[in-house]
Amino acid sequence: MPSTDVIAAIATAPGRGGIGVVRISGEDLRDFSQNLLGKISAPRVATLSYFLAADGEVIDQGIALYFPVPYSYTGQDVLELQGHGGDAVLRRLLGRCLELGARPAEPGEFTRLAFLNDKMDLAQAESVADLIDAATSEAAKTAMRSLRGEFSHAIHQLVDALINLRMLVEATLDFPEEEIDFLEESNALNQLAVINAQLDKVFRQAKQGNLLREGLHIVLIGQPNVGKSSLLNQLAGEEVAIVTPVAGTTRDAIRQHIEIEGVVLHFIDTAGLRDTDDEVEKIGIAHTWSAIHQANVAVLLIDAAKGIAPADLEIIAKLPPDLPLLRIFNKVDLLGQEPRMVAADGIADIYLSAKTGAGIDLLHEHLLRVAGWQTGGEGVFMARARHLSALREAGERLNLAAACEGRVEFFAEELRLAQNALSSITGEFTSDDLLGEIFSRFCIGK
Amino acid sequence: MLYPSQFDVIVIGGGHAGTEAALVGARMGLKTLLLTHNIETLGQMSCNPSIGGIGKGHLVKEVDALGGAMAAATDEAGIQFRILNSSKGPAVRATRAQADRVLYRQAIRRRLENQPNLWLFQQAVDDLILEQDRVVGVVTQLGLRFRARSVVLTAGTFLAGLVHVGQSNYPAGRAGDPPSITLAQRLRELQLPVKRFKTGTPPRIDGRSLDYSVMVEQPGDDPAPAFSFLGSSAQHPRQLPCWITQTNLRTHDIIRGGLDRSPLYTGVIEGVGPRYCPSIEDKIMRFSGKDSHQIFVEPEGLSTHEIYPNGISTSLPFDVQVELVRSIRGFENAHITRPGYAIEYDFFDPLGLKNSLETKAIQGLFFAGQINGTTGYEEAAAQGILAGINAGLSVQGKEAWHPSRDQAYLGVMVDDLVTRGVVEPYRMFTSRAEYRLMLREDNADLRLTEAGRRLGVVDDVRWQSFEEKSEAIAREQERLKSVWVNPKLLPQEDAERVLGKGIEREYSLLDLLRRPDVSYRDLMTLPSAGVGVGDSKVAEQVEIQAKYQGYIARQQEEVARHQHYEAMVLPLGLDYCEVHGLSIEAQQKLNQHKPETLGQAGRISGVTPATISLLLVYLKRSQNMSDHKKIA
Repeated sequence: MPSTDVIAAIATAPGRGGIGVVRISGEDLRDFSQNLLGKISAPRVATLSYFLAADGEVIDQGIALYFPVPYSYTGQDVLELQGHGGDAVLRRLLGRCLELGARPAEPGEFTRLAFLNDKMDLAQAESVADLIDAATSEAAKTAMRSLRGEFSHAIHQLVDALINLRMLVEATLDFPEEEIDFLEESNALNQLAVINAQLDKVFRQAKQGNLLREGLHIVLIGQPNVGKSSLLNQLAGEEVAIVTPVAGTTRDAIRQHIEIEGVVLHFIDTAGLRDTDDEVEKIGIAHTWSAIHQANVAVLLIDAAKGIAPADLEIIAKLPPDLPLLRIFNKVDLLGQEPRMVAADGIADIYLSAKTGAGIDLLHEHLLRVAGWQTGGEGVFMARARHLSALREAGERLNLAAACEGRVEFFAEELRLAQNALSSITGEFTSDDLLGEIFSRFCIGK
Repeated sequence: MLYPSQFDVIVIGGGHAGTEAALVGARMGLKTLLLTHNIETLGQMSCNPSIGGIGKGHLVKEVDALGGAMAAATDEAGIQFRILNSSKGPAVRATRAQADRVLYRQAIRRRLENQPNLWLFQQAVDDLILEQDRVVGVVTQLGLRFRARSVVLTAGTFLAGLVHVGQSNYPAGRAGDPPSITLAQRLRELQLPVKRFKTGTPPRIDGRSLDYSVMVEQPGDDPAPAFSFLGSSAQHPRQLPCWITQTNLRTHDIIRGGLDRSPLYTGVIEGVGPRYCPSIEDKIMRFSGKDSHQIFVEPEGLSTHEIYPNGISTSLPFDVQVELVRSIRGFENAHITRPGYAIEYDFFDPLGLKNSLETKAIQGLFFAGQINGTTGYEEAAAQGILAGINAGLSVQGKEAWHPSRDQAYLGVMVDDLVTRGVVEPYRMFTSRAEYRLMLREDNADLRLTEAGRRLGVVDDVRWQSFEEKSEAIAREQERLKSVWVNPKLLPQEDAERVLGKGIEREYSLLDLLRRPDVSYRDLMTLPSAGVGVGDSKVAEQVEIQAKYQGYIARQQEEVARHQHYEAMVLPLGLDYCEVHGLSIEAQQKLNQHKPETLGQAGRISGVTPATISLLLVYLKRSQNMSDHKKIA
């Protein structure tokens, strides 16, 4: 294995569970440990540690276990971080590992390393092969699942644009005796700007980067008697525990945090929004409004029997105009109605009963869809993490390319690396494929 | 009869691949025989009269760095030299020369005749002598039997060659030469995977019948660059310009009118031609929106009036050729001296070759040049020298050698051929090289000459000159690292003139040279810079290496990431159906390609990282098993 290669993955099953483990393996993890934990833990000793974000903020507090080479599962340096179970925290922690240069582990890769570094005996060889085989087909399925819809469409547009630009650049370098200067004719920098914009769009549509770190922010509007608490309890259900803030962050009294399918939902309660002369309260209200302006969706909870309250309408009028609104008509059981969802003009109406739980699944699904999240197996996250790290790498290369103006061979090199990064999403694109594009577009050759 | 003396290496074919193979075998001190059907055409340039170009010039310099003949012969025969892409970076700059065919042939022939250990013999080869799966000699047309320990076959387009002009066709090796029918049949019987390609040439024209006054002159560079690392422009004969003209709508109408008699468009030609060097009828059909195509009017030499109109390769009937040629500006009264033609020929699927260019099926038998599905003199020469070296190493009982993809275009080409195979005649382009920034013309010697010396193919003269140059580069780099420029002692006007602006802290000369707009020559004019090197080749190398350093370092990291797998050897006899967990598709691909290393397996299209993981596990497992056996 190349010495720079570090792999990381969440090692515990998703969902429930009080403890979650992130495992990291690499030839030398001392720098990595220094950056993530602020120290290098003593070998093979459970050490209470803070897991730190880039800005020094604490992601979680937990146990770090450092197994220096060669006495470890994989035979490399291994770092095991045991944190507080919740999927969101674990993902943030894994995200941080990727930021520090690790790449998401391939299916079965820890076990493969273990085998290759003589940490397993011969009898286990076949099972390793089976594991890789099974994990790979599962990963392929989840990668396909996670690549549907807008996200996939935008990525393909991006790759097509990149291929087009590379075609012009390579034709310019390889065929200088042709009559036209391919690059001059095509305004390469402008094309690059378009590709960069496309890349931004992919990020936006995926919403993933944001979701992984921050979750979905929801403005909750509704009078005290409409059943907010029972709604939140139903939503949280048995899925996972309520996320508690960790040391170093300030508890925000007017928010509630719920996690479904690994996505954190932050509910911003608007109940406190009223006219007041209390200075402290005024500051709190200003905070709430600024949170509302960062929100992804507004949820209006209505007693189906009573209809919308005037106080709610006042708040709705002050919401940002492009904030999607979801209306929930609660207590349908009392009216003898069936739960249902009706969507029109950017407003979705869901009829449900928070008390009986009827219709909660509709809400569940709808909120995740708003978040840009397609539900699926655990692998979806890993597949998407791979996509994101590929996109990030490609983005960096494109920025470097933009700085190469006038030096075409460097420009070409950065574009090549950008495409290499994307090949983990789109499949391999060889130089032969590229030449094929050139020859089908231009009449080349004497 | 059995020829009385035995040879180490027999090379069949005297084109660009065969001559390099024969010369290098003899340079290795091995008793080498070059068999050709005609000694007069040794070193013949059968297509366009030029050597080099983008990607191709790189190959020529690599052959030169290994002591080969092509660059040096071009220096003696070149009648126009240019550096293409001179306005772009050094990695994509390439030398191209127009060569006088007669002078080139003479330059090659002189080298062959004066090469110790090399014997020439004129006879067509009809058969190979095999003992089990090993080649031990060849049989010629007269039934002469020559024995040798390895054989390099460079048959070019001669294997079952079929020339087309309009609807008539006839068997030929190239226009004017007989084909090798018997040998082609014998090779087909050996079950080597044979396929068919097509290539073509334009009609040749008497230059006296052309009106150059309406064409655009294209002069060579002044001063003219030398091709060989040991060459100089003083060796060049008299220089000539080329000319450029175009086809027009009338030309295109004439061509369309003749398509019903075109062997290409009536389905007579079945072989696949190259997409980048299409016939004029192909250009017009595939790009019907284009009103005109460029034609480069290239002189064939100093002692002939013939010219080569590069860009109108065609197999249309002769009467259409005359009409289309005469529709071109400046060609109104053109007299065609030789008709253009297309030729179909046998080649062998290069997937059947090892990296050494030895066939997997027959030990000691090496293939080089067009027989492997490539096109171009330069590609042929580069394969020739590699096949010759490995034929020699095999005689010496040594391990085969080939440069890696990050070491040479030759390495890229061989890996592409034996790993991916070919779907059209393979030509080199710089975009094929992922490590393009490292594989430059200017450092071909630094990349290969040391390896060549170890292999015994680089003579003392070249080695001494190489050592002097590389030492001078290292010395100057050390000096630039240790000389510091102090901002306080740097006059403002000097700073602005050389660096564009003043500096805010102390920098070494090497740091300053890394800046994109600072040239070595200017830098040496700073008061504190000391005395730079006089040798412009050394100065150039120091400057390029400084400017490319960041990118090279990154590419080297990329190389290092892949190196691990390159060293892991896969047994050639491995049946991939036996490898646990592989998909049927992967099994089939791997059984078809039989890669030599895990790295090569990874470059086969459709082979996934998971497949590589499974192969890793398999290799490890077999290794453990054999370890166990040893202990037991």
